[in-house]
Amino acid sequence: MRLLICFLIFGCSGLDEDTGEASPRGSAPSVELPVNGLALLTESQYRNSIRDLFGSGIALPARLERIQDIDGFQALGASVTAVSPVGAERFESAAFQVAEQVLEESMRAEWMPCIPSDELFSDASCAAEALEQIGARIWRRPLLSEEVETLTALSTEAADVLENFYEGLQFGLAGLLMSPNFLYRPEIGADGSLRETELASKLSFFLWNTIPDDELFDLAIKGELSEPSVLAEQVDRMMADPRLTEGLNAFFTDLFDLNLLDQMSKDPLVYKHMNSALPAAAREETLHVIADIVLDQDADYRTLFTTRRTWVDRRLAAIYDVQAPSMDGFGWVELASEKGRRGLLGHASILSLYAHAVSSSVTLRGIFVRERILCHDIPPPPADVNTSIPEASESLPTMRERVARHLEDPNCASCHEITDLVGLGLENFDGIARWRTRENDVVIDASGELDGDTFQTAWGLSRALANHPDLGPCLSDNLYAYANHHKPEWAERDLLRWHSDGFRQSGNRVAFLMRDIALSPSFRAAPKLSEEEGDSGQ
Amino acid sequence: MDNKYSRRGVLRGLLTGGLVTVSLPWLESLGGFSSTAHAAGESGFPLRFGLFYWGNGVLPEKWVPTEEGEDITLSEQLLSLERHKAKLSILTGYGVDVPNTVPHWSGAAGLLSGHAMPSGSDGDTFSGPSIDQVVAQAIGGETLYRSIQSGATNVDGLSFNGLHSRNPPETDPYALYERLFGATFVEPGGEGIVDPRLGLRRSALDAVLGDFNRLSSQVSASDRVRLEQHANGVREIEKRLARLQEDPPNLEACFKPQIFDSDFADVSGRPQIELRNDAMCSLLAMAFACDQTRVFGHYISDPVDNVLFPGATTGHHELTHNEPGEQPEINSITQFCVSQYAVLLDKLDAIEEGDGTLLDHCAILGCSEVSRGQTHSLDDMPILLAGSADGHFKTGLHHRSYSLESTTKILISIQRGMGMNVTSFGSEDAYSDEEVTEILS
Repeated sequence: MRLLICFLIFGCSGLDEDTGEASPRGSAPSVELPVNGLALLTESQYRNSIRDLFGSGIALPARLERIQDIDGFQALGASVTAVSPVGAERFESAAFQVAEQVLEESMRAEWMPCIPSDELFSDASCAAEALEQIGARIWRRPLLSEEVETLTALSTEAADVLENFYEGLQFGLAGLLMSPNFLYRPEIGADGSLRETELASKLSFFLWNTIPDDELFDLAIKGELSEPSVLAEQVDRMMADPRLTEGLNAFFTDLFDLNLLDQMSKDPLVYKHMNSALPAAAREETLHVIADIVLDQDADYRTLFTTRRTWVDRRLAAIYDVQAPSMDGFGWVELASEKGRRGLLGHASILSLYAHAVSSSVTLRGIFVRERILCHDIPPPPADVNTSIPEASESLPTMRERVARHLEDPNCASCHEITDLVGLGLENFDGIARWRTRENDVVIDASGELDGDTFQTAWGLSRALANHPDLGPCLSDNLYAYANHHKPEWAERDLLRWHSDGFRQSGNRVAFLMRDIALSPSFRAAPKLSEEEGDSGQ
Repeated sequence: MDNKYSRRGVLRGLLTGGLVTVSLPWLESLGGFSSTAHAAGESGFPLRFGLFYWGNGVLPEKWVPTEEGEDITLSEQLLSLERHKAKLSILTGYGVDVPNTVPHWSGAAGLLSGHAMPSGSDGDTFSGPSIDQVVAQAIGGETLYRSIQSGATNVDGLSFNGLHSRNPPETDPYALYERLFGATFVEPGGEGIVDPRLGLRRSALDAVLGDFNRLSSQVSASDRVRLEQHANGVREIEKRLARLQEDPPNLEACFKPQIFDSDFADVSGRPQIELRNDAMCSLLAMAFACDQTRVFGHYISDPVDNVLFPGATTGHHELTHNEPGEQPEINSITQFCVSQYAVLLDKLDAIEEGDGTLLDHCAILGCSEVSRGQTHSLDDMPILLAGSADGHFKTGLHHRSYSLESTTKILISIQRGMGMNVTSFGSEDAYSDEEVTEILS
């Protein structure tokens, strides 16, 4: 409810070009957009799609093709990486696994539009009707008649051989599910704009991380979705839907690499609070806090770095030294004001992910803040330099003395000054986010500097980060890249600036930004392929 | 950055090498390639290639043997290979000639593909196919799997079909067992599977290939390459389904291995690398003996991997940089990795084939992406080559290059050893058109 009210107050600035409404920002600048790569469904998009097509009871293989991060995002990798033979194999077996389950007697009535005249024989007309109807939802577009014919012929042949209509239909259904028309999200477009069904898919995968629902899909089929008022109405409806949380979670999971928590290795002898349930709990905390700030409170993005409120279970409570909210499950807690733990940079997810197996890491944490939060580019260390840091000793008791070399050697200092002086601010947190005041019996000095803003504690770092002028534009650029699944190019800089200005003027409200990007003319554009690139003359 | 590797040079490299790979089906981009490789050597047994890999390099001063030539005294880090010395070539003094722009990854890409990293990449990908896939394209067509990828820890592996196209390894020994010797495996003497569903699945895959064709005609050239790679995977499934309907090859050394009695669970947060490696190497050797595949890539760890090795005080990558002095922990980790390579050779050498052993009909490359982990150095790379590939290679020697020759020469030698009529390989600075003549018999 609150979301909708805010949108009314701030107006439809992204739409002014179309609606002619007065806007404090002016319309989105027209820029030359690159051709987007064909996006493969991510693993979570695949799972969500099957759930929304056939219900949550469908068992899927434990693993599908894992998409490689490119430029820091799986969403960008999805548009440039190629599926391996093993991946193709997994998609094939998943397709049959799903087809078999949804054709079981208890399941098929849910979605089958017809009943065959005799189950022990093929029935081409019922097969065609079923494949055409479910096919349009699986492929997120109507099937061409020749596509229906091919799959019907396949199902009929199989039913004849196997002497069973439903067993035969499995093959047609599996054909739909392992087709590139399901596994990829084509954005071919026509006349420079996405087709209606392509726009519906792009919106639903961006905002919900899954396929369009009935209402969105029906509007696209009727050709009404790209009508500006309808589009704005649909985006507002989608933003008010609980599924928006899934879209938001998918973005932040990708941005912060939270899926890597599952593979994180920590030495249990060093970290006695480490256990197999911790990674999932830590991810839950971070995603829940973000959803609360962005969706429930519609608050300033900077709050994520300054809030004392967090969402913990008893494991996380033990790490944070706060009273557990309950024996089971999660609850809100307020972190002690005198301690330095605040906001995202106090979360176990970030602090343990960006650390080593047996120790913290000022460099990894510094790189995380610079690259992921501020979009600063940190070059890799030069080759052929000695990168060792000395072991802890009496003269070098804490990490600050040990990494001093990074900051003194001119080969290292140019980069390490910008990473380590940030990471040192988080040295009061060990490699699993426990608060500590001493290392090797010496008091930890957590002072540092972020682009001219000096601080003494982790809290000071978080405050400096919240005030950093690159914080908002970085999130804006990242969300733009994620939504449009391409790495922004130089030619798009005016548009990026326009979005980040709008974000700032909105009071850094991420929900505003999501809507702004979804309604931007660039979101629904489909740049034409050049002569050589395009249709190979067929 | 070294001046030699100007930005322009990097770009030019990509234009002459990487981009060609991007815009063409990759086979066409391999200069001098002939597809008429002979699949079998003189012995009549098929030739096989294996890649054995560990991340983060070695300690060169403890790696390079002081003696050269035949029957040498092994260096400290190579001691566990004593029993395989006669069937092993140790190559030192070779360098990777790509710009070292991304520590670890530049080395991995240059060493295994002969191409630099894709422009602007920060790692974790290649711009061209890796050596195992180059070889598999020539010799892997007749078997159930073009190649098998496996990892003794939770790795992503280094097998690439082309730009951004990675072949993920099986890292669960049970999953590897299931793939190679699961429900569809038939021992020699048995009969092909009779099941009409196999044929129907092929029909379904045919329909899917039609979808690939239609979609391909509407997308950009680079997307067409991606779809073609995916479609190749689909064709491989079709081919496999057809093969399952045929009787299995009658191979004396082939039998169905026992399933394991361990769950391979981590102990105190550490993977049981030794146990996992032993189980997986047994399966890989038997996969060769049963002609399920003729190519594999097997990984102990990835580049930059921070895995906790047995007995190590912290993760491997962290130790390479932070362990002071002579790096005794790094030394023992490297020795451990080499001992795991020896285990693989044990398995291959224990299977008799004709007058020799399976290992005699293989070339098994053992390597890592940097020389010294601490400095990411690409000079004096650690390279081991075991098995003579049916008499193609001399073994039992240490050959050292004193002119920092390119590791690409070794990739060419491997391809020729596998019967491929290749004369050049790699791009830009990593291009070569020479072989390592010293190891040819």
